[in-house]
Amino acid sequence: MKKVLSLVLAVMLLCAAMPFAMAEEEVTLNVWSFTNEFQGMIEKYFAPSHPNIKFNFTLYPTDGGEYTSHVDTLLAADATAEDAPDIFTLEAAFVKKYVNSDWTADLKDLGFTDDDFATCIPAMLQIGQNPEGVQKGLAWQSTPGALMYRADLAEKYLGVTTPEEFQEKVADWDAFLETAEELKEASDGACKMFCATGDIWNAYQYNRSQGWVVDGKLVIDDVLYDFLDLVKTAEEEDLYAKGMAWQEAWYAGMNGTNEIMCYLLPTWGLHYVLKPNCVPGADGSMSDEELQKLSDENGGTFGLWRMVAGPVGYSWGGTWVGANAAKVAAADDAKKAAIKEVIRFFTLDPDFLYTYAKDSGDFVSNNAVVDKIIEEGGTPNPFLGGQDHYSIFAQAANLANASTMTDYDEAMNKLWDDNVTQPYIKGEVDLDTAIANFKAAVSAQFEGIEVE
Amino acid sequence: MQAGNTKPKKVTYDHYGYFFIAPFFIVFLIFQLYPIFFTFKTSVTDAVGWDKILNNSIIGFKNFQTLFTANDTSGLYWLSFGNTAIMWVCNFIPQIGFALILASWFTDQHLRLRAQGAFKVMIFMPNIITAATIGMLFFSLFSYPIAPINTLLQKLGILNTPFEYFRNVPTSRGIVSFIQWWMWYGNTMIIMIAGMNGINPSLFEAAMIDGCTSRQIFWKITLPLIKPIMLYNLITSLVGGLTMFDIPHLMTQGNPNNMTNTVARFIYQQGFTGTYNFNMASAGSVVLFGIIIICSMFINYLMKDHDAKPHR
Repeated sequence: MKKVLSLVLAVMLLCAAMPFAMAEEEVTLNVWSFTNEFQGMIEKYFAPSHPNIKFNFTLYPTDGGEYTSHVDTLLAADATAEDAPDIFTLEAAFVKKYVNSDWTADLKDLGFTDDDFATCIPAMLQIGQNPEGVQKGLAWQSTPGALMYRADLAEKYLGVTTPEEFQEKVADWDAFLETAEELKEASDGACKMFCATGDIWNAYQYNRSQGWVVDGKLVIDDVLYDFLDLVKTAEEEDLYAKGMAWQEAWYAGMNGTNEIMCYLLPTWGLHYVLKPNCVPGADGSMSDEELQKLSDENGGTFGLWRMVAGPVGYSWGGTWVGANAAKVAAADDAKKAAIKEVIRFFTLDPDFLYTYAKDSGDFVSNNAVVDKIIEEGGTPNPFLGGQDHYSIFAQAANLANASTMTDYDEAMNKLWDDNVTQPYIKGEVDLDTAIANFKAAVSAQFEGIEVE
Repeated sequence: MQAGNTKPKKVTYDHYGYFFIAPFFIVFLIFQLYPIFFTFKTSVTDAVGWDKILNNSIIGFKNFQTLFTANDTSGLYWLSFGNTAIMWVCNFIPQIGFALILASWFTDQHLRLRAQGAFKVMIFMPNIITAATIGMLFFSLFSYPIAPINTLLQKLGILNTPFEYFRNVPTSRGIVSFIQWWMWYGNTMIIMIAGMNGINPSLFEAAMIDGCTSRQIFWKITLPLIKPIMLYNLITSLVGGLTMFDIPHLMTQGNPNNMTNTVARFIYQQGFTGTYNFNMASAGSVVLFGIIIICSMFINYLMKDHDAKPHR
């Protein structure tokens, strides 16, 4: 009797448990990333609503290529290995390398359609595509760059009182140079238009119509010679502070020690670079009120900055999410659905992106969400004298054309600066020698790229 | 007495020695010898990129051919080699000079300097700080246009406008050499002092009784007797100098115009930037290895007392 009863009970229990197991098959995903940011986001926003998806996180820093070397060796050895990533995050410096390779999955294989991407910010989509336009990576943030300028100096020297007027002054690079010359005359050389050639480069490279490498050949776009003319003129006529980004002189313009009119910075540059350096002695942990107070007492620049889209739309930085092609090909439907859900949730889900934007202040990658935030009154920023940075970044974000980005950009940009920009504008070598040195350096460092 | 006990068992502890040296040899085999062989192997393959670091094919001595014929890669390699040699010589001559003078002062029995320990510590101090820190420190000191050195020289009226040290070949090389000298002369000095203290004092006493001057003692007794130590210093400094990496890498990044690029930086650039040419990086390392061996043998030959025997 007892036996029968226990059997009946066991069967009943089993029956009761079955439906749940059937509906919510548990899936474990390997997620690789280079900071714990993504892990934190999964734990905070994703895990509570998706209890059936479990995660194994693997973290490697990007310093010295550690992350990419681990990803590369593992994927080359056995991309379907147990510990190989299902999903991995990709930084701007190397995202192109992976979306151009066969290692990342075509997102359409996971069930995404073009309609899903309709409201994404174009530059962020472009960067996640291979040269054939196959979408392989998506981003939750967008990192458009804009031009920040000192409203007080603009009024004092140029008589400009509104951001709209200032935008006209820097509408393109010729206007930018003219304004720099006007500024020099009006301030008697005291106020410089910008601080470092690198500031200009970060934006100017987006004027190119071709990237560094096209069909395996090195391409020096004609626009780059215009860039050299611009910075050479600035060098010879003392129009800029001749500093370097991330160095003393660069920060001296931010905190008001020296008069520098413009900085070209992206979303994160506004919050994490310019603002925490707006007054000597400030640090990133201070609240707006504390910064304002310190700045007022010590002649800082809090509240004196305004933002405009600048001469060209550009993008600097960002993180993309991609899926391991081999693992996607080998996955069953439940796993595929889980991979899709993670990517969809973080990069396309309007509710998540809205919540995340509100929580973190980050600029997100979806125009629908961006528009909604702007409609609700945007993000009036006391650091920018109450200007709404969201609407300016939205303009800049949709102007940027990231089609020229290649997987070689980081190394190429460095070689260009070391071999061409600096030696040429400082008058150490003539232009032909500089270009020849650059080509030699490229041919030495890049195996298989044709240099004529 | 029983027969079994007539021969007492011989207990030896000799083999325990192996346990004590084992950790070194295990670490050495895994982290030194194996990578050296791996480098030799990689230098004859087509290993470009992380995905080919293990799955590559042997292509013979093509990489070495690249380094020894005129092309962009070899141009950069031998330019880097020249830079390294210049910066090494500029740091080594003052390094040995200062180390010798200081060591002879510290060991001089006439002088009997006070607070020797404090001086030695102060002179040795830069060697304790990591090169990375020092590289960053000097980069900040000599930056342009706003930095301590420029500000100081302008305040003193020596400069009218800030000077760009790292865009000028002699100054940027000079700063690299200066740092190498400053970091290492204390270390060389300590070794020299050890060498000088090892000389039998009776030789000095005999020389003094014979009426030698300090200078004569230094040139005729001290210097010949610390020759083996000099040899050691020369060779370790040569190896350290030719593999110079951290200071130029952190401070000048090879600028201006590759004129402070060193061989080790070339190897780094080949192996860890661009398309990750591990094969060329390895070939460059093997050639550097060969050059160091040849130079060491040459120095060894020069320093040997060739006429010691006939004089007897």
